Amino acid sequence: MRTKSVTDRMLDVFVYGLLLLLAVACLFPFLNVLSKSLSANWAVLSGKVGLWPVGFTLENVYYVVTDGIFLNALKISVFVTVVGTLGSVLFTGISAYPLSKKHLPGIKPVLVLYVFTMLFNGGMIPSYLLIKQLGLMNNLASLILPGLINVFNMLLIKNYFESLPESLEESAKLDGASNLTIVLRIIIPISMPVFATVSLFYAVAFWSDWFHPMLYLNDPSLKPLQLYLRDIVLEADTSNQNLNLNIDRLMNLSPEGIRNATVIVSTIPILLVYPFLQRYFIRGILVGSVKG
Amino acid sequence: MNPNPHPNPGRAATAAADTPVRARRWRRLSIVRRNYDLYLLLIPGLAFLLLFKYAPIYGLVIAFQDFNIFKGIGGSEWVGMQQFHRLFTSHDFGTVMRNTLLISLYKIVLLFPLPILIAVLLNEVARMWFKRAVQTIIYLPHFLSWVVVAGLFVNILSPSTGIVNHIIQFFGGHPVSFLMDNHFFRSVIVATAGWKEVGWNAIVFIAAIAGLDPELYEAARLDGANRIQQMFKITLPGIASTIMLMLILRIGGVLEAGTEQILLLYNPTVYESGDVLGTYIYRVGLGSMEYSYSTAVGLFESAVGFALVLSGNFVSRRITGKSIW
Repeated sequence: MRTKSVTDRMLDVFVYGLLLLLAVACLFPFLNVLSKSLSANWAVLSGKVGLWPVGFTLENVYYVVTDGIFLNALKISVFVTVVGTLGSVLFTGISAYPLSKKHLPGIKPVLVLYVFTMLFNGGMIPSYLLIKQLGLMNNLASLILPGLINVFNMLLIKNYFESLPESLEESAKLDGASNLTIVLRIIIPISMPVFATVSLFYAVAFWSDWFHPMLYLNDPSLKPLQLYLRDIVLEADTSNQNLNLNIDRLMNLSPEGIRNATVIVSTIPILLVYPFLQRYFIRGILVGSVKG
Repeated sequence: MNPNPHPNPGRAATAAADTPVRARRWRRLSIVRRNYDLYLLLIPGLAFLLLFKYAPIYGLVIAFQDFNIFKGIGGSEWVGMQQFHRLFTSHDFGTVMRNTLLISLYKIVLLFPLPILIAVLLNEVARMWFKRAVQTIIYLPHFLSWVVVAGLFVNILSPSTGIVNHIIQFFGGHPVSFLMDNHFFRSVIVATAGWKEVGWNAIVFIAAIAGLDPELYEAARLDGANRIQQMFKITLPGIASTIMLMLILRIGGVLEAGTEQILLLYNPTVYESGDVLGTYIYRVGLGSMEYSYSTAVGLFESAVGFALVLSGNFVSRRITGKSIW
């Protein structure tokens, strides 16, 4: 091993130092609120909580996960995310495959139709009026249908398909396989990295969506998690009514503690799946974005 | 130009005897017929585009009407450019445009270069475990919803219990109501957007760097270039076209300053510094139900964005020969 020059050593210190700082900055707000959600009320109010819980308690978290409104919101969000993601991956994959066959006549104009919508769109009000006209207000379909195909995700899959060696399909065709057999038996199994990537993107988009439920739903029983969160976490003036605390539990609980715990609990599903899918999406994006 | 990779010898021979134009048409038709199932697969996507993408684009015509939701597009009165006239002469327009442009420009100037820097720095990391750990951590905030991010920052910026104000007070300062103060609000918007997306946005550049030929670095090393020189002479020029394309797309979104984010973080006290086109459309369109006027504002936003992408792309093609399509 060669000895490193002084400039290389200094560069290393700079590189590692800066990246470490960045990672800490990304974790800091999260760890701080996590610690607060696990701390006793007095410790939070006196400002003693930094990156480690003080006066450890699970009361706040327990309150959140046993709260009926929270559980209902969670149920709605899980439903929208699961149905939306499955539907989206199916529709996006179906649409991407023919578009990856550029040599077919008429494919390029269709691609232009897709790409144009990335650059120009009708915007908030016409989309709102459309949902209203379709009678989808206060219907969970209003959260799923308009997001069924994300053009960016479709291009990722299309580019991935294009990057597959043509010889694969050629030889199957010589064996007399139909297009459908080729897709089901060859294309889908070897495209798992990009499907995993796109599934994660869709799942996160459906899970995290606050804007569309806010626009399209006003029935309280349909509120997904993000709307519930927004009510609890950001509507400071109404939070005490929303929380509806019993006097005897107020000893350990506080609106502040419950707010923190709600934020933390609602991120857990993402934190659980993220590490498993992460190794896929770097590969998926690498291949999918080669051609832009 | 031969669009057919699987020519059918029998048909091609009879067709070749015909005129070339008819032969080509015949061949295209036979490709279409042989791949009819692939064309069928296009239908669901096209139906989706028509209903959820192009119908709202058609809906933009209400910007030129005095739209009445009970009369519909067919029955509402056409008023020409009246809505746009109202927008450009309104008192709000100046404030909203200023806020939109300031927030967007801060975001571009401060936050666009950071992902490039991160990608270049990560490329210098030799220890794989460190590289992977940093990537895992810095992508994470992207996967949190804006509601959660807003919740986190409302918490840590709280004047009474937030850790940021505890630190300020520790050093003898006075607590600041960051989200209620017009001096700080825009900075909070830029900082929270940075926290959420800077790490994630690096991924495109990381992918671009990964696509560079390792032999370039090898050759540079043999010529005695140190790592800093390699950074500036190989890595950065190598991803220049990616940077250019991302910048064009970013500039095309200059009038979208972060509607969802700002709707979650702002309140009437900071409308003066935080109300942007998107939040204004929301307030006027859905708060006061002025559908035509707010659609006009939206059309203005979309049209400017579209024009910016087109001209950015034109300039890029002239200068670097690269374009997004």
